[in-house]
Amino acid sequence: MRINLVGFGVIGKGFAKTLIMKRDWLKARYGFEPSVVSISDITGTLVNPDGIDLSATLETVNRTGRIIDCPGATVMQSLDAIRGVDAELMVEVTPTNVKTGEPGLSHMLAAMDVGKHVVTSNKGPLALAYKKLRATAEKKGVQFKFESSAGGAMPLINLANEVLSGDEIISIKGILNGTTNFILTKMTKEGTDFETTLKEAQELGIAETDPSYDISGSDTASKLVILTNAILGREATYSDVSVQGITKITPEAIALAKEEGFVIKLIGEVEDGSLSVAPKLVPENHPLNVDGTLNVASFTTDLAGDVTIVGRGAGAIETNSAILSDILSIYRSGAGR
Amino acid sequence: MRIELDVELKDKPGQLVKALEPISRLGGNLISVIHLRETLTKRGRVPVHIIVSLENPETLETLLTELEANDIWVAKVDEVRRKKRFTILLIGHVVDTDIRDTIDRLNNISGVLVADMSLSMPHPEKETSALMDLEISNPDKLGAALDELDLIAREKKLTLVKSLEI
Ligand SMILES: NC(=O)c1ccc[n+]([C@@H]2O[C@H](COP(=O)([O-])OP(=O)(O)OC[C@H]3O[C@@H](n4cnc5c(N)ncnc54)[C@H](OP(=O)(O)O)[C@@H]3O)[C@@H](O)[C@H]2O)c1
Repeated sequence: MRINLVGFGVIGKGFAKTLIMKRDWLKARYGFEPSVVSISDITGTLVNPDGIDLSATLETVNRTGRIIDCPGATVMQSLDAIRGVDAELMVEVTPTNVKTGEPGLSHMLAAMDVGKHVVTSNKGPLALAYKKLRATAEKKGVQFKFESSAGGAMPLINLANEVLSGDEIISIKGILNGTTNFILTKMTKEGTDFETTLKEAQELGIAETDPSYDISGSDTASKLVILTNAILGREATYSDVSVQGITKITPEAIALAKEEGFVIKLIGEVEDGSLSVAPKLVPENHPLNVDGTLNVASFTTDLAGDVTIVGRGAGAIETNSAILSDILSIYRSGAGR
Repeated sequence: MRIELDVELKDKPGQLVKALEPISRLGGNLISVIHLRETLTKRGRVPVHIIVSLENPETLETLLTELEANDIWVAKVDEVRRKKRFTILLIGHVVDTDIRDTIDRLNNISGVLVADMSLSMPHPEKETSALMDLEISNPDKLGAALDELDLIAREKKLTLVKSLEI
């Protein structure tokens, strides 16, 4: 299977590393031999129809930060690479933009248009234009998979739609953002205030320099929209979510809650058709009470009752667990061989 | 009349006596008392299962009122859940924005009662937090109580943190 890789940051490079690491195993286990034929970032594109040397590319980009510095790379733009470099599948891992969905949305529509399957971790296009993407994929007869976009390594969409396919999922609740969970956990354990704890998280590289997307609840909201659409079969968008972040939580409030046996967690929740993100009081002995950067999600189903899964919601390699599983599922369905 | 009560006591000495005293005073006969000292409820209370025989069934309501007046929560009567309790947290200038008014507005909804409240006031100028237990005896009124809370939070610029179950 030939792959166009679009975006070569944390996740794109993690994808290359994962393929290097798993090359022999994938061949032995599934007879699967993926070949990355183009890699684009904002500076340009590297093309090799016989498969790019991923180790050499990683080596260069780790040094300079730009694809254009790789021998043979040109200023070809990502959209031209998607349309012009033959492949069966595109992996789209450019930055999330929840206002416009770009550049990811155009990348995905272009790839589908030329008959390529799409695998992505990019939340923006999914939270804004799921209906259009789904319809385009159907019309063009290609597969569209995005397990890694909500919950990182946690196999939520596949768990609900494949493994629990006989169950009706009634509600979904969970902690879908590791940064805010880290901050709230630290405030709870150490009694520190929000600002100080945020700074520490930034120093540790857990929170971004601009942390607003995480702490405002927007990231959780995007993921909640993705899960709602993919699992409950809805056509929700980001604007359907009522969103409250964690910036107003004080150490005193956390301590007061603790006296009564509660912790405060940022919970994304879809129930009875309404989507909300807000800090909630969670009983200490509840399965959703997980600490640190961990994520957790719980489905309430008609047959199985509650099913809860805990895991890593982010990380270069962890997220690629879900990307690889999407690609393998497309490959094993017989498409893109 | 034989009645089973599930009550929840504060985790402090002397609470069980407080729960049993009105029973004998009202002419009830204790059949059994199971005191689950080790398994605290979600709110850190001690659950106690009481079986009692009452000569006069009409004393039941009096008994329940007396128990609750003594801060003994009656969770179930004959396996029927009596009232639901929910916890919410308000953060901000909770006291300065007329806490009496906040409580009254909730209590004014029939079937809704602010049953318990604790405050944390780190500093007069700093933000306060209030943790409230709302007792809902009429389940149809939960929505009204939550709407009122949302309204209060918006009007008074407070942050409302609800418990996971609501
Ligand atoms: N990091 C995680 O753990 C994680 C987990 C789950 C999902 N995600 C999602 O995965 C996606 C990628 O995340 P990331 O952490 O890898 O982001 P990142 O490190 O910022 O990498 C983004 C990459 O996309 C490239 N890019 C930006 N605009 C482009 C354009 N117009 N055309 C082509 N390439 C473009 C960037 O190139 P330049 O560097 O040259 O600008 C960079 O290589 C995001 O949507 C994110 O939300 C991330």
